[in-house]
Amino acid sequence: MAMKALDIYKHLPKTNCKKCGYPTCLAFAMKLATGKADVEACPDLDPGAKALLGGVTRPPVRAVTIGAGERSVTIGEEFVLFRHEKTFYHPPGIMVEVSDTWTEVEVRSVVDEVRETVVHRVGQDLVLNGVAVRNESGSADRFAETVRLAGGGSSLPLVLISDDPTAFEAALAIAGQYRPLIHAATADNWEPLAALAKQYGSPLVVRAGTPADLAAITAKCAEAGVADLLIDPAPGSLQGYITVATEIRRSAIERTEPALGYPIYLDAGALGETDAAVATGILKYAGIIVTPRFSRASREAALTLRQNIYTDPQHPIQVTPGVYPINNPERDAPVLLTVNFSLTYFTIVGYLEASRMPCHLLIVDTEGLSVLTSVAGGKLTETMVADALKKFGVADLVDHRILIIPGYAAPLSGKIEDATGWKVMVGPRDAADLPEYLEKEWKT
Amino acid sequence: MSENSPDKLAIREVRLGATRAEGGTREVSYVIGGDRGLPFCGNDAGRRLVALEICDDPAIWPPVVRNYVGDLVNNPEDWAQAAERRYGADLVRLNFTSTKKRGFNAFADIASTTERVLEATTRPLIIEGSNDPQVDSEVFRRCGEAGEGERLLLGTAEADRYRSVAAAALAYGHLVIAQSPIDVNLAKQLNILLRETGVPEDRIVIDPYTGALGYGFEYSYSVMERIRLAAIAGDDDLAMPMISAPTDTLSIREVREAAPEEQDAMAVAWEFYTAYSAFVAGASVVCVRHPLTVERLKKVLEA
Ligand code: B12
Ligand code: SF4
Repeated sequence: MAMKALDIYKHLPKTNCKKCGYPTCLAFAMKLATGKADVEACPDLDPGAKALLGGVTRPPVRAVTIGAGERSVTIGEEFVLFRHEKTFYHPPGIMVEVSDTWTEVEVRSVVDEVRETVVHRVGQDLVLNGVAVRNESGSADRFAETVRLAGGGSSLPLVLISDDPTAFEAALAIAGQYRPLIHAATADNWEPLAALAKQYGSPLVVRAGTPADLAAITAKCAEAGVADLLIDPAPGSLQGYITVATEIRRSAIERTEPALGYPIYLDAGALGETDAAVATGILKYAGIIVTPRFSRASREAALTLRQNIYTDPQHPIQVTPGVYPINNPERDAPVLLTVNFSLTYFTIVGYLEASRMPCHLLIVDTEGLSVLTSVAGGKLTETMVADALKKFGVADLVDHRILIIPGYAAPLSGKIEDATGWKVMVGPRDAADLPEYLEKEWKT
Repeated sequence: MSENSPDKLAIREVRLGATRAEGGTREVSYVIGGDRGLPFCGNDAGRRLVALEICDDPAIWPPVVRNYVGDLVNNPEDWAQAAERRYGADLVRLNFTSTKKRGFNAFADIASTTERVLEATTRPLIIEGSNDPQVDSEVFRRCGEAGEGERLLLGTAEADRYRSVAAAALAYGHLVIAQSPIDVNLAKQLNILLRETGVPEDRIVIDPYTGALGYGFEYSYSVMERIRLAAIAGDDDLAMPMISAPTDTLSIREVREAAPEEQDAMAVAWEFYTAYSAFVAGASVVCVRHPLTVERLKKVLEA
């Protein structure tokens, strides 16, 4: 089990020398206890204490980076089994597969699709993460050639899938400096693969059918000097995956089996139902999901699900309160009230920008709650609106004193008029109807 | 943490529908619940059902579904029959959208539509009645009476309007959907209220409210997990099976504004990802609206 801060503190030098970057040894101990600091930061720890603390204070699931540069992806470093217990931190990397038996055109079209797919949602750009190259030709040269076609790892992170050490040698000669993920070391071939992973500093997937076998092989690879490992439990069904992935994550979190404290690898294509498998990986602990090419509709839904599941439950994605000019508003433009939940903000701004209607958007701080939720929960009040009008100097921006509020905030309209002295107009409930409403109703 | 206790069911069993032998007219009845641990983990026994939702007034129904099913939208019996026979739904959820019209008073139609849909189908039926306290009691009485003995799953009871649903369920032998807005404690409180009204615990199905994917789904996903974990930990007031109805999914912008040739694909992808995730979080029944989503979910569940 994880150690408490005070227990950790007992093993520290207690000199408060600050070399770790924290003001006191106790402060450092508190960070260690939550997995947010590294024991290596204290130069004065004796080796025994370092080994002991290192084992219990590192994140229960190791952070592993795949690829290099801007589009590299870091996974792992997770602390809980259920997102409501705290949050999930590192969304799984989704890698689309190509085969070395395909034509150049086929390979390029997948690579381009991965590179260019971007889903813009609530201020974030959601992307696919990389390409998985499968060695199905039986030829090391073809494999290496396809790896080169896939960009060699310089632009997109790669997964190299084979069971032939010579194929890996050829592929790593091309992509080795970009930290591609090697799949997979098994009971039979882990030695040469671990040696290659070590030589190139590449992360390595270990594959076996049971958690016990996985632990045995990861322990050997770690001993051979490969620290960045993933585990592939080789599931036979979706249900089988959920069962074993839950067991692996639980052993990691509870630190009952440190040799399972690595991110999980899921081959979604192997389970038949790609969409279901991708969703399963997102929901249940996958660090890397390898999938056959999937449709645009599926990609958007999958990336949105991943964004949802990896949003911190305590902190919805928010925008900064203030008054925002939309479409270059003048002094006669309407003032619209909304909340600081970023989904709300981006929805409404989308419609306003498309309509080219100039306006001032006044955003109040509802702690990231939507309009309907904040009205229901009492988080949007007339005093807040009055304070925000003052604080952001809205009266100085316009010549009128009219505030348009969301349809769902209608119950507050009288109170807002009383508290602000502004005339209140109740807008439509759905932002899609806002442009038409402004067209018809807005005249100063 | 011990989640898998061999001797005690974590989730109570609830029987939906009644065959002739059980006092109804259905060809099958389903038992949901009966799970022992986390969903999809080892000895989880619970059955998962896919419901296709239909309605009696298509005016407010998503255009993508209206386009896909064509004339069926004007005829609940044919639509219900197609749901079972053509689209492969385990059961139908009949939504009385007609009651949402201002000044609604066509109560006799509620009874006759219920009868006709029961006649046209062979499997258990879910009914989503009105949600206006003004008409609730009459609507639930009429559909409850029309389906007497069929063990309908009647919805929706909420904290401030549960008496009409509960009364109809008690009078005519039905089950109740208990809906609360994404909150474990509110779900528990409502179950207690229903129990105090006399609704037996094995006639309650929890609806934790499901936000659309991208529009609050993550909260619904987590609350389902929390309800299931509370039940596993022994909280009897939360040990009911769950139903998830992500009904807003087909009204979201991504679906509404998809190019015409991509509308069906978009609708199905968003419904599928949401509904499947609800199963993973612990739902026993998931309601969807696009027929093609039913097919895809069934395929995955049967695999
Ligand atoms: C996710 C969610 C939550 C999340 C919060 C998510 C968040 N960040 O807000 C959580 C779980 C925390 C939550 C809690 C609660 N919730 Co809630 N929640 C939802 C859910 C499913 C989605 C909300 C959402 O994201 N909407 C999307 C955004 C974009 O919508 P929006 O901000 O309203 O913006 C739209 C319009 O208002 C309009 N608009 C926005 N700005 C402007 C400006 C102008 C000028 C105009 C004209 C229009 C306009 O455009 C947008 C797009 O159309 C809704 C159901 C639903 N369908 O809305 C229930 C819902 C809002 N919740 C509800 C309730 C009751 C609650 C709670 C009180 C319950 C409780 N647990 O105690 C709490 C209150 C919170 C608190 N304690 O402070 C009820 C409200 C009932 C009612 N009609 O009053 C709902 C409707 C669910 C239900 N049917 O029971 N909730
Ligand atoms: S570096 Fe080590 S000894 Fe110095 S304050 Fe930090 S924990 Fe204490």
